[in-house]
Amino acid sequence: MKNRLKVLRAERDWTQAQLADALDVSRQTINAIETGKFDPSLPLAFRVARLFSLRIEEIFED
Amino acid sequence: MVSIKLYIKTNEVDTMTPLKQPGSTYKSRTRANVLRLFRWNAAWLAASALMALGPKFLWNKAPLFTLVAVAFDIAVGIGMVLANKDYLADLDELQRKVQLNSMGITLGVALIAGVPFTVMDKYHLIPFHADIAFMLIIMSLTFAISNLYGTRHYR
Repeated sequence: MKNRLKVLRAERDWTQAQLADALDVSRQTINAIETGKFDPSLPLAFRVARLFSLRIEEIFED
Repeated sequence: MVSIKLYIKTNEVDTMTPLKQPGSTYKSRTRANVLRLFRWNAAWLAASALMALGPKFLWNKAPLFTLVAVAFDIAVGIGMVLANKDYLADLDELQRKVQLNSMGITLGVALIAGVPFTVMDKYHLIPFHADIAFMLIIMSLTFAISNLYGTRHYR
C-alpha cells in the first residue's frame, strides 16, 4: 500500500522521531510505513489522518 | 481504541501539539516495561536456580523445602508471564508483530525439535540424555535470531 506519509512529514519539517512521538509509536514503525514495508492498522491510519487533518484516502492508497 | 483515547482533537495542522499525558510517551512506557520484564526474568532465573540447586546444596533434599521452592518458582514464573503479556500489550503494532512472529517461530521450532529429540533419546540414538536445558538453549537461540531478523527487516 502506497502512502504520502514521508511527504506530509517533510512538508511540516518533522523528523521521524517527532512523528512517532505524536502518534505514540516507535520511530521504526514510522520508517517501515514510509518505506512501504508495513501497512498500519485502521486505528493507526485514523490517528495519522487526524494528526494531519486529512482523510485516510488522502494519505493511503492501494 | 485505547491508543485513540490518548489523543485530543486539534485543528492545528502545523504544530506538534503534545497530545498525550506528560511522562507517558511510547519510549518511556516501553523502557519501563522492558525493565519490569527484565526484573521478572532475573527473579525467575534466581527462583529456578534455587529450585534446582537448593535440594542438594541448601536443605539436603528435604521434600517440604523442595516443594516450597517449586511453588515459589511457579509463582515467580506466572509473574514473568504476566509481565511479558503487559510488555506485548503496550508495544506498538509493528513491534508486537515482530515479537509475535518470533514467538510463533520459536514455538514451532520447539515442537519440531523437541519430539524427535526425545525419540532419539528413548532409542539411544544420541550419546547424551535429552535434557530440558537443550530445549531452552534451542528456544532462546531461535527467538534471538528470529527477533533480530524481524527487527532488521523493518528497520
